[in-house]
Amino acid sequence: MYDYDAIVIGGGHAGIEASLAVSRMGFRTLLITQSLDAIGRLSCNPAIGGLAKGNLVREVDALGGEMAHLIDSSMIQFRILNRRRGPAVQAYRAQADKFSYSRLAKETLEKERNLELFMDTVVDIIVRDGKIIGVVTERGWSIYSKVVILTTGTFMSGKIFIGEYEHESGRLGEEAAKGLGDALRKKGFSVGRMKTGTPARVKMSSLDFSRLEVQDGDEQMRPFSFLTKKVERPNLKCYITYTNERTHEIIRANIHRSPLYGGKIVGKGPRYCPSIEDKVVRFPDRERHQIFVEPEGVGSEEMYLNGLSSSLPESVQNEFIRTLPGLENVVIMRPAYAVEYDYLDPLDLYPSLESKIVKNLFIAGQTNGTSGYEEAAAQGIIAGINAALRLENKEALILKRSDSYIGVLIDDLTTKGTKEPYRMFTSRAEYRLFLRNDNADSRLTPLSPLASDERKEALKEKLLAMEEIKELLKARKERGKNGLELIREPEVTIDSLLPSDANNFSPEVKEEVELDLKYEGYLKRQEREIARFEKNESVAIPEDFDYDSVDGLSQESREKFKAIRPKSVGQAGRISGVRVSDIAVLQVALRGVRSGK
Amino acid sequence: MANYETEERIYALATAYYPAALAIVRTSGEGTIEALSRIFSSPERLLKSRSNTLCHGYLLDTDGRKIDEVVLSVYRKGHGYTSEEAVEISMHGSLPLINRLSLTLEQIGFRKALPGEFTYRAFMHGRLDLTEAEAVEEIVSAKSQEAAASALDRLGGNLSALICQMKSALIDILSSLEVQLDYAEDEILEDWVYPEDEVRSILTTLDNLIGTYESSRIYSQGAKVVLAGKTNAGKSSFFNALLKERRAIVSEIEGTTRDYIEAECVIRGIPVRLFDTAGLRVAKEEIEAEGIERSKTLIRDADLVLYITDGSDDSLPVCDEKTIIIYSKLDEGRKGEGLSFSSVTGEGIKEVIDEIERRLVRHKDYDGRVMIDSQRQRDGLIECRDILKESMVNRNMSVDLMAMSFQAAIRSLNTLIGDVSSEEILDNLFSKFCLGK
Repeated sequence: MYDYDAIVIGGGHAGIEASLAVSRMGFRTLLITQSLDAIGRLSCNPAIGGLAKGNLVREVDALGGEMAHLIDSSMIQFRILNRRRGPAVQAYRAQADKFSYSRLAKETLEKERNLELFMDTVVDIIVRDGKIIGVVTERGWSIYSKVVILTTGTFMSGKIFIGEYEHESGRLGEEAAKGLGDALRKKGFSVGRMKTGTPARVKMSSLDFSRLEVQDGDEQMRPFSFLTKKVERPNLKCYITYTNERTHEIIRANIHRSPLYGGKIVGKGPRYCPSIEDKVVRFPDRERHQIFVEPEGVGSEEMYLNGLSSSLPESVQNEFIRTLPGLENVVIMRPAYAVEYDYLDPLDLYPSLESKIVKNLFIAGQTNGTSGYEEAAAQGIIAGINAALRLENKEALILKRSDSYIGVLIDDLTTKGTKEPYRMFTSRAEYRLFLRNDNADSRLTPLSPLASDERKEALKEKLLAMEEIKELLKARKERGKNGLELIREPEVTIDSLLPSDANNFSPEVKEEVELDLKYEGYLKRQEREIARFEKNESVAIPEDFDYDSVDGLSQESREKFKAIRPKSVGQAGRISGVRVSDIAVLQVALRGVRSGK
Repeated sequence: MANYETEERIYALATAYYPAALAIVRTSGEGTIEALSRIFSSPERLLKSRSNTLCHGYLLDTDGRKIDEVVLSVYRKGHGYTSEEAVEISMHGSLPLINRLSLTLEQIGFRKALPGEFTYRAFMHGRLDLTEAEAVEEIVSAKSQEAAASALDRLGGNLSALICQMKSALIDILSSLEVQLDYAEDEILEDWVYPEDEVRSILTTLDNLIGTYESSRIYSQGAKVVLAGKTNAGKSSFFNALLKERRAIVSEIEGTTRDYIEAECVIRGIPVRLFDTAGLRVAKEEIEAEGIERSKTLIRDADLVLYITDGSDDSLPVCDEKTIIIYSKLDEGRKGEGLSFSSVTGEGIKEVIDEIERRLVRHKDYDGRVMIDSQRQRDGLIECRDILKESMVNRNMSVDLMAMSFQAAIRSLNTLIGDVSSEEILDNLFSKFCLGK
């Protein structure tokens, strides 16, 4: 009776990873998207990675995902961010040729053996006995499958705003997905509104480059994927300019025309990625704001004005953008706009990303209230893996705060929920000295049922190479110390200690050994903290645990426990507003469960 | 998130810490009976005693000296309040004796129970006869910030407010680090600079607070005050005047060798063991040497020495931190500069008591309104101080490691008050910096 094992709704960054994960794990999968031409679009900034986000990309790769491959083959600038701010926080960021990125994403999906693509819009889900069994499309198809993964991004009841103009779109020029949000609302899903925005794209040949600062990428491009040996891609420049008092004056004078300030947008926007009108209003003392001018692709005239997102009318945009040095005669190709969309409360999800409301339905990406391609991909791959594991009748893969940024992301979403579009930050992670971007493979590849033999082999080789390097260091003697001791000295580099004929090691592998040794003391400290943390994580709460049977819980905590259904005592303790005493009571009750009382 | 540990043996004074006829000290946890048998005068009898029975004898300190005559109520596992192996010790309600017993219990591996912990354990073992709601309420009050704060208010200060103040200063510093880690070099251009002034100011507060532990220890554990001086200088009448004034005499224990008298009283809320070395000098020749030795030891261990003189001494002891020279017989006229009193008229006694209190509750350069009173608080503050000092030494380290230090410093303060979430830091960060491309 089933047409497919799995259906994935949406072809964005979550949908790509989810559909590839399920199909690569051997299940017949259908991806339904509103537009086959829009698969893998970079709707906002033409870049992948960044602080913490770069780590997410590496982690998705380590699990067997696609995002790193896509950017490795489409980057047009590469940088390692925050190199001098320390080993724990440096991250990869690459500018992407967004046209190549999207095309490559579609090609990758098309080539996948167990995966079919289909263009239509899902308007409802089919549920029987609390389980999802299929979807209904706008053109009237009912398609049945054992599991469904929902990754609708900003399209569910999406609405864009440019000053007084509004339109039901998920992206400029692309229709919103209507009907599904209301259908889910009727089925008991908690649907809210969120808002995000994107800046204008301007014509490259209309810019005065003599008035812009140049921002070069690193000379050496590095691959995001642990399987890519070498990246050879064109290296394009980015540029920097600044707003000024005149810009701010124009914005202030027209602020009432912004739908955000006029009250038309009800959705909550991200504080960390404010529109230019937000910045001007909230930080009136700032004389200028930095704006990055980034190419959207090789051979394209479109340039992205990073830092200038806005929902002001186009005429106002035209006026204030022209006050920026170098942009005096700018030609706008696409205006900046805000988009408001339906999201589903992530507290209704288990950490496996399965819905608590409808069984066998997994939800990933911006639909869960996150923002960012990387956050979406990270959820997509977990939803995909867990949907496949469900089809295999196996335990879900649940990553921990102590083993990955993905673990932090999903734990935050499913334990605390989110009130604004959730973006990953390094400061959200407790154990970031351990969650580095260089060791994502050793952290995650062994855990992933999706990781190919090739990937596991590559990891094994890397670990062997690291051992070899350590042996070489051990053999190196100087000033009565060996290389393992010498490397701890701040000024000593690993290359100065390795024999000159040891060039066969990649710089990444050498750096990882160097970090492991230089920061050994701190890593040990972090390991002890992790052990303490994991003690409470290991105290499991049965899925059907009856909180009403526990006397002594405060009413507030009882409601929260019932709504969130934490998997462990550790997770229960992270729920906001839960009191220590309630955790104590919970532990008592759990002890009763274990001893069969 | 702190939780009670149930694997350890715990003890607590079940009656009020105040001089009384009887006191009950409760002990609980696996191995309690065996542990107590090591300091009990008839270990075999205790070890063999059945549940819910009484056992009479003496408890000894680890050197084998008698602490007190006691009656032990023995509960085997599955019985008693906590349903754990437990012993209730009934003893004399003398503060010095209670203190000696506490010390000895700690030496043999008991930990002082946290408030509500016995109830918690009872609850844990499904033993509780009270309504569970009551038990939970007790846990709540014991573990909540309010309870901690009220315990501190007893000492007339507001520790949690001060710690919160330090914590928010540390969170500001951590936010300034986190912003460097959350945003790239091209977005946050300024390099992070070690906030030396802020850290120094936090260190000063920490040092001051840690310093108050000594004086608040005096409140909770009592002080030793020794009266010294020539025969007939007025020591004994001062001794009596002091006790009379406080009206808190509980017991008068004769020194085992009759060379001093010990009494207990409470002076301005401070439990004081008062030693009168009277009789020292009139003792027989052959024991005088021993007596002098004993009095030297007494003076060395004292928290405060009151040297009483009627002005006829050839020379007076050096007036140091713990020695006060007090002139007696004020009714016969002022004998010298400094504190004077008359045990006949009572004149000057109040001033002497003022001075005793001031000296016992010492606070270096600190206004002394806020104090800490537990080892745990002191440990938390010392940990925080050490981490900050280390961060100052390693100030050139990369910001990610620096952030680890400040996180650890905040965590150590959190053991004293509530938790800080990463949300809190992000909130702080967003409110202070204009961020985001």
